Amino acid sequence: MKHFLFFLALVFLALFYALYSKNSSNSGVGNTAQLKVYASSSFISKFGPGPLIKDSFQQICQCRIEYFDSADSTTLIQRLKTEPRSQSADVVLGFDQFDLELAQKGFEWKPIPFQKNKLVDSLQNILARSMLVPYDWGVISFVGRTSQVPKPPTQFQDLLNPEFRDQISIQDPRTSSLGFQLLSWLIQSMGEEKAFQYLEKLNTQVKAIGTSWSMSYGLFEKKQVLLTLSYSTSPMYHLIEEKNEDILAYEFKEGHPIQLEYIGIPATCRNCDLAEKFVLFILSLEGQKIIMEKNYMLPVLKGVKENSSFSKVASFKILENFVLPSSPEKERVLKRWAQLRRFQ
Amino acid sequence: MIVSFLESIKYVGHLIPMAFLRIFLGSYFLQSALMKFHGDFLLRPKLAAQFSETLPTLELPVWYRQVLEKLLITHWQTFAFVILGIELAIGISYIIGYVVRPMALLASLICIQFLILSVGLQSDLYKLFLVIHLTLAWVGAGRCLGVDYYFYKKRRGFWW
Repeated sequence: MKHFLFFLALVFLALFYALYSKNSSNSGVGNTAQLKVYASSSFISKFGPGPLIKDSFQQICQCRIEYFDSADSTTLIQRLKTEPRSQSADVVLGFDQFDLELAQKGFEWKPIPFQKNKLVDSLQNILARSMLVPYDWGVISFVGRTSQVPKPPTQFQDLLNPEFRDQISIQDPRTSSLGFQLLSWLIQSMGEEKAFQYLEKLNTQVKAIGTSWSMSYGLFEKKQVLLTLSYSTSPMYHLIEEKNEDILAYEFKEGHPIQLEYIGIPATCRNCDLAEKFVLFILSLEGQKIIMEKNYMLPVLKGVKENSSFSKVASFKILENFVLPSSPEKERVLKRWAQLRRFQ
Repeated sequence: MIVSFLESIKYVGHLIPMAFLRIFLGSYFLQSALMKFHGDFLLRPKLAAQFSETLPTLELPVWYRQVLEKLLITHWQTFAFVILGIELAIGISYIIGYVVRPMALLASLICIQFLILSVGLQSDLYKLFLVIHLTLAWVGAGRCLGVDYYFYKKRRGFWW
């Protein structure tokens, strides 16, 4: 028992000392400003662009960046609204275009001095809609292997072909933004009634509806399905990381929706100037290059992908006039989708 | 000590699967403690918020509820420090196989606390942890591939 108590005391002493040293080293850099950034776990993870962005920015700003995992957007907004100003975030990133309404409802954001004409042509009309600025984007498409899909699909109807029966993985629109993109994509291209009739047929072709992109893409990677819903940049990952040229994104006649990820500075920020510098760094050529190469998404800035391997990414016809549904509309469509699933 | 460590493989070899389980669980606790240390566990009242949410839904004795409300929730920072320290101690103890029996009993007590205060799937996880901690305490899992065998051989007694 003596040993046990001694061991416990030793561990607590060591922990106390470690905390004390941590605090002293923090106060040692007390003169350097700290930037608190809320970001998604994929951004912060060691495979994501977060660590490299942090290192590069810290070298030029004489500051310290602290990342905080922001979970889902609803929780994040709630957290931003309720937390005391003394603990408020300086930068928030990871919202998609469906979260914008939620993000701007009852919460103030600081304007970001970013020149719209620097954005790639496909995104020129985006900035007018929001105080938040997109920092990367992707074109949504179905992805497959050339060796397994000799006759690539070119339109939604092709997905109903017998060779794709039980061979497609998509995402649940209730839990995945990509899944909701597919639902909106169908509704915009066919109209709601036809889209749901089509979904009824598509459900027999679908092997699994994953709760997230990683789940449904995992099935594709394990060759358990022939097609999966992903991004036009997905083949680049396999090409660069695995030297695999077999993966291909398929262009559909209907046009493709795009997925955007936004960055914003809350009006409650503490280090607002530094936050602005950080955002502008992410939107600079250097920052955009890091995000493109680590996130495997397209840069929002002109002239970044041009002289890189990403210039090989197929450019698909973008769905024009893609209307974002309002929150009640989104809820209604999701309810209808859930009912459709229930009766199958 | 090294000799007795190697001897433990020979004489208590049947406990090797238990030792693997112990080391795996130890690394889980150590990792969890390190994540808490580097994260904002000590800066934000996460546990207190969780308890505040679940407390109204639970049927607990009045004295216990008062202890939670007046001690743990109010002094969340001390409580978070203690939890972090205990997790760290469990992690190190299980990995090196030192004072495993009393540590497993302490871990069981903590687990019971969390089990009472948890809801849904989380409670299943705590039940599983509780059973593993009790089993480790029961067999004295530190005697194989651990420091405990040295003391067990030298001193015998209930705690090794």
